[in-house]
Amino acid sequence: MLTFVEEILLLMLDDQDGRLVDLPRSAMNGVIAGAVLMDLAMHDRIDSDLQELRVVNTTPTGDPLLDGTLASLSAAQGGRNSSAWVEEVARDADDLREKALARLVSRGILRKEEGRFLWVFHTRRYPIIDDREQREVKARLRELVLGTEIPDPRDVVLVCLVEAAGLWDLLLTEDEQDKAADRIAQLRKMDLVGQAMTQVVRDIQESIAVASTMAW
Amino acid sequence: MNLQQESQNGVVIVTPNGRLDISSAKLVEDSLIGIIDRGHTRLVLDLSQLDYISSAGLRTLLVVAKRVEGAKGKIALAALKPNVREVLEVGGFDRIFAIHADRASAVAAV
Repeated sequence: MLTFVEEILLLMLDDQDGRLVDLPRSAMNGVIAGAVLMDLAMHDRIDSDLQELRVVNTTPTGDPLLDGTLASLSAAQGGRNSSAWVEEVARDADDLREKALARLVSRGILRKEEGRFLWVFHTRRYPIIDDREQREVKARLRELVLGTEIPDPRDVVLVCLVEAAGLWDLLLTEDEQDKAADRIAQLRKMDLVGQAMTQVVRDIQESIAVASTMAW
Repeated sequence: MNLQQESQNGVVIVTPNGRLDISSAKLVEDSLIGIIDRGHTRLVLDLSQLDYISSAGLRTLLVVAKRVEGAKGKIALAALKPNVREVLEVGGFDRIFAIHADRASAVAAV
């Protein structure tokens, strides 16, 4: 099974050219941080409530993509809420993203292509060579948000991640998004860490928007 | 965490006490799934003795609700303490579960 970081990165990759969607790096880092935290929750390593997120089991999961974050959380002193932890883990998100992409390459899902733009600037793309996982996740999410079934907890996490990353345009038509708006609003509330992550990412994007308005 | 279980008019009423968090979530989930899988698909969770619920507890409730839905059954929650109700409402679980003020009205509703 893929981790949430791998799943959301697959959804963020353009099917055609293998580039990640256009999302400010700080917002993408918040999404990746949320993905790792929600994976640790699914592994019963952390638990949270409306006030605090805490480590409840320091035993490594055996997944290197998660265990570095688990060690950082375990070493930290004092309680913090989920939003503070999303912001903290987001500092390591560049590294987490590169490791997750490398793992998708080693799984045979992506291919890494290095290149140069204007012979100077280094570029990197990750064309999808095996799209079964991506198609399966997209189909599952479409069925969930356009239907009425009670979700399972993993699908709730994916909804939170897609919402925070603003990826619904890649999964649903405009009409479908209108139709599913209430349902998505409900589903994205159902994971408390997911809620915190969505808010952190929204705050980042609002501050970027304000900053660019002021620059004009 | 203790789970008291009783039946009333074909409805199984389960009363967890204490904290529903990561330390008790598996026990609660396994117990409730076991009840559903034995064919008891009309359930009331009497939460009058539940003092606390965490994210892990919410996931447990979601898994149980999904199982009840799959079995074409009904489930309701009763007698929530204000702090537990707040967490459920923040998580939007009041749209998944019928929430009743007391056990009697929950039993009548399922």
